[in-house]
Amino acid sequence: MLEAEKMARNIGFDPANTIRIKTTVSELGRNILKYAEKGFVSLSHLVDGKKEGIGIEVIDKGPGIENIELAISDSYSTGGTLGLGLPGVKRMMDKFEIESIPGSGTRVYVVKWK
Amino acid sequence: MYGHSHYNQRSPEELLKLFSLDETDLESIRKLQAPLEERLDELVDNWYQWLKNLPEHEEFFTDPKLLEHVQKMQIKFWKIFFKAEVNDDFINMRKRMGETHARIGLPMDSFFAGVDHWLSLFIDMMGELKLKPEEYSQTRRAINKFLHMDMTIIVLSYEQLINETIAAQSKSLMEMSTPVTQIWNGILLLPVVGIIDSKRAQDIMNATLAKISETQARSFILDISGVAVVDTAVANHLIKITKATRLMGCESTISGVSPAIAQTIVELGIDVGTIKTTSNMKDALASAFNKMGLEINEIHE
Ligand SMILES: Nc1ncnc2c1ncn2[C@@H]1O[C@H](COP(=O)(O)OP(=O)(O)OP(=O)(O)O)[C@@H](O)[C@H]1O
Ligand SMILES: [Mg+2]
Repeated sequence: MLEAEKMARNIGFDPANTIRIKTTVSELGRNILKYAEKGFVSLSHLVDGKKEGIGIEVIDKGPGIENIELAISDSYSTGGTLGLGLPGVKRMMDKFEIESIPGSGTRVYVVKWK
Repeated sequence: MYGHSHYNQRSPEELLKLFSLDETDLESIRKLQAPLEERLDELVDNWYQWLKNLPEHEEFFTDPKLLEHVQKMQIKFWKIFFKAEVNDDFINMRKRMGETHARIGLPMDSFFAGVDHWLSLFIDMMGELKLKPEEYSQTRRAINKFLHMDMTIIVLSYEQLINETIAAQSKSLMEMSTPVTQIWNGILLLPVVGIIDSKRAQDIMNATLAKISETQARSFILDISGVAVVDTAVANHLIKITKATRLMGCESTISGVSPAIAQTIVELGIDVGTIKTTSNMKDALASAFNKMGLEINEIHE
């Protein structure tokens, strides 16, 4: 999370977007801890022509998600919490990809452009 | 969880089995009882001669009364040791020894070295006894196993006491890190700094509710300007805390909600319902005073 904040600042994100990025890393990281136990987060500095941004990839080898449609809809949680993590991240980021194979793991990739 | 420890005390039988000590072993140790008692004073002298060369000697044995006491205990212990009876009393006695070591901060390395020196004294003694070669090696092996078992009991209880101490310290650290303070009659304030995880949230909840019941406070200000990140989990905890305080008749205000945080809360889709929030602590304070029928004014001379 601190890494993400540092990278976001270096890329020159404004404070509001820096907070979105930090919050995203926190949400996805917490999901791993909660549902998959182990996994990793990688951050990348993206440059596309004049555009600059950050890519956040989160991969785990946990139980996977049965129904992705449900998982990314508001207030759906199998953990008894608010169920707003994934849909919230989707709203905060510019690009949101999620793939999951039940029984073998989950990958979430998001991008925020400056 | 505090005071958690993985140490499950083994029963005497389990300990004997763990170190493969059988009745033959114990019997061969018992055979040394009589020769040991004859020489024990001498051995103790010899052992303290050895100890004098260690720096620990200065630290732990400068008081002659204490030294005398420790020597007496040691003589008593070795007599019991060579009775080779492993029962609850024996185990408890050794556990207390380990706790004492932990309390006085005796370093493990000197403890091990000390035991090793005793072992070499016993081996020397066995050399004088003219045992048959098989008997000699059998007895030697038995003493080895028995001493290792004994050290295990001591080390585990040492470790347990240290763990308990650490747990107690982290508990008091937690209490220091959630300083719910009564800043005025009926008004509580808690500035939270750092990361809020479930455990921290629970600590905050406990500390706050206890303080409310103690002070009958009507307003609680929870300042989150120092919180690292407000994600759905943190928001969920905050909502629960405010609900619980409300049930106790105390209205919570979350202060320190910056514009950027407010935006992310909205984007996450969190329904803050009727929770009062303010951007700075000043507004939260003013409203709490207001509720008490108080007003803050500048003094004009
Ligand atoms: N990495 C993951 N592995 C397996 N299942 C996951 C993973 N991430 C999310 N899920 C599933 O998707 C559901 C929705 O996730 P989401 O983050 O939106 O909500 P939540 O974690 O349950 O609650 P909140 O994030 O609001 O505290 C989870 O309840 C869980 O069933
Ligand atoms: Mg989540």
